[in-house]
Amino acid sequence: MISRYTAEIGTATLTAGLGLAAVIGALEFGIGWGDAGPESGAFPFYIGLLVVAASIGTLTQATVGRHGLQSVFLHKEEAKRVASFFLPMLAFVVVARLLGLYVATALYLALVMWVQGKYRLVISVTSGIAAAVIFYFVLEVAFQVPLLKGPLEAALGLY
Amino acid sequence: MENFASLLHGFGVALTTYHVMLMMIGVFLGILVGVLPGLGAPNGVSLLLPLTFTMDPVAAIILLTSMYWGALFGGSTTSILFNIPGEPSSVATTFDGYPMARQGQATQALTLAFLSAGFGALVGVILITVLSSWVAKFALRFSSPEYFAVYFLAFASFIGLGAASPLKTIVSMGLGFAFAAVGMDTVSGGLRLTYGFNELLSGISFLIAVIGLFGIGELMLTIEEGLRFDGIQARVKIRDVFKTIATLPRYWVTLLRSAAVGCWMGITPGGPTAASFMSYGLAKRLSRRKEGFGQGEPEGVVAPETADHAAGSSAILPMLALGVPGSATAAVMMGGLMIWGLNPGPMLFVERPDFVWGLIASMYLGNIVAVLMVLATIPLFASILRIPFAIIGPVIVVVCFIGAYTVAGRPFDLWLALAFGVVGYLFKKLDYPIAPLVLAMVLGDKAEDAFRQSMIMSRGSLSIFWSNGLVATLMLIGLALALGPLLSTMLGRVGKPKGSSVVA
Repeated sequence: MISRYTAEIGTATLTAGLGLAAVIGALEFGIGWGDAGPESGAFPFYIGLLVVAASIGTLTQATVGRHGLQSVFLHKEEAKRVASFFLPMLAFVVVARLLGLYVATALYLALVMWVQGKYRLVISVTSGIAAAVIFYFVLEVAFQVPLLKGPLEAALGLY
Repeated sequence: MENFASLLHGFGVALTTYHVMLMMIGVFLGILVGVLPGLGAPNGVSLLLPLTFTMDPVAAIILLTSMYWGALFGGSTTSILFNIPGEPSSVATTFDGYPMARQGQATQALTLAFLSAGFGALVGVILITVLSSWVAKFALRFSSPEYFAVYFLAFASFIGLGAASPLKTIVSMGLGFAFAAVGMDTVSGGLRLTYGFNELLSGISFLIAVIGLFGIGELMLTIEEGLRFDGIQARVKIRDVFKTIATLPRYWVTLLRSAAVGCWMGITPGGPTAASFMSYGLAKRLSRRKEGFGQGEPEGVVAPETADHAAGSSAILPMLALGVPGSATAAVMMGGLMIWGLNPGPMLFVERPDFVWGLIASMYLGNIVAVLMVLATIPLFASILRIPFAIIGPVIVVVCFIGAYTVAGRPFDLWLALAFGVVGYLFKKLDYPIAPLVLAMVLGDKAEDAFRQSMIMSRGSLSIFWSNGLVATLMLIGLALALGPLLSTMLGRVGKPKGSSVVA
């Protein structure tokens, strides 16, 4: 169980970190006045400072008002639901990088339907493959937009 | 009258079989993304955008704007039938639309919603027709400092008028600017903020951000809340539709007031969501049947819908005439214009009148097409929502990632979309506004260019932003808006505590 306070602090720390990254990254390119006006780091530098300042403001607000933020941010039940959605999605991206988007699509749809949707294996696998084939025809044939492909497409000679 | 002639010319451009067909496809896809959870107008337009890169700009913008209208209508359908707002801007429609549907008045609620939405959109489009070339002519006098002041004003109004905490708005906006800065610096042509990663050399596309923040983030939130579709069977009876049309004139005061609220919030970057809540609040306060609100009061459907669509369509005005979009979806479309090689802003009216007026004319037609199509397809889309989420959820995920890949064909974007999805989920749960981030990503380079060019003009002196009446006025309004929340808390502490009058 995560409280709203923890979530506020965590997110504000993350945004402060991103702001700081912009500040540090910008310093490398000069933040002063160059031959052609302000140097290219100037704008990101001040934007980064602004983000850091506003994040610290949010942190302060959350700390000062922490009694009002004791409500539950994420229940165990909710966390389980989010994880059951997020983890397959993460796996989808990993598989897509290795085997291409079409294979990943077919696998992902089939597995989610089978495991989470409690459909029969045959129906799940057929649906997954059908979806991948439909995407192929819509994108590659109709719109001529190539998608990320993997070893299977290479073996089938599809480019 | 000059505008009228241009508009007629525009109708000549828009009224071809090909364009009308695109309108129908756009509206259809729009209703689809509006109905499906996790997909909304900004996200739908982002997903479709890469497929239009090869199209003629006029055809492409007609397709995308039609999708926008369709999505706005689709969002109202689910609000009324399922009590699930398909779009953030149709949350206010659930307050009275769903109770109406539960009392067996689904047809009446839907018809009222669509017709008042159509009315709102029409008012918005008429406003664009009348004002746009005037605004564009005025804006032709702008040079870099004035442009920077307009951008400043747009972002300041998010801080001052937004419902979210001003600090969180600043964080969201600043991150948008920072993401926009990654990659090539448009002034010097050098690279920056790539931290040695080759993947970051070409920058972070705002389309990926929109797909992650709005699409994947929204889906995660939907899952977390646990999805329940308690849909109400809706069969649209033609007789009821006509009966409801006959009752519409009764609400003329609400219609006009809501359209005015919507247009105002659309032109200033308040956006459709704020407009619909504000209009609902006003209608409730001013109505003679206050106690009926929340229990199925037709006025409670008319007010937010009219304002939502008036804001949605009038958000196109500042995008076209000034190059400052009034909503997240308008921001995405503006990004699209830039990708097609068009430069949104006053010069567009001079250089590409056929594009501008074709677009404006298509907005009249597109909304009529949308009203008709949405009425005809309610049963179809209502049945889509009955498909189990174990099927529809993963399909939406796949569509989002495929959309992210088609933006530039870079595998790295899949990771980025996932990361933005997590950020979007956190931001939505913690009430960080997302629209400012998207707007900042689209406008980042332009705002920075305007700032740096102003600095070059003035040799580094900030006084250029006070150098003439126009730019000084814009900056002053901007500063007043940006500092407004700060001043009001300070005044609130000094004076007696006032009753809260927060405008959502």
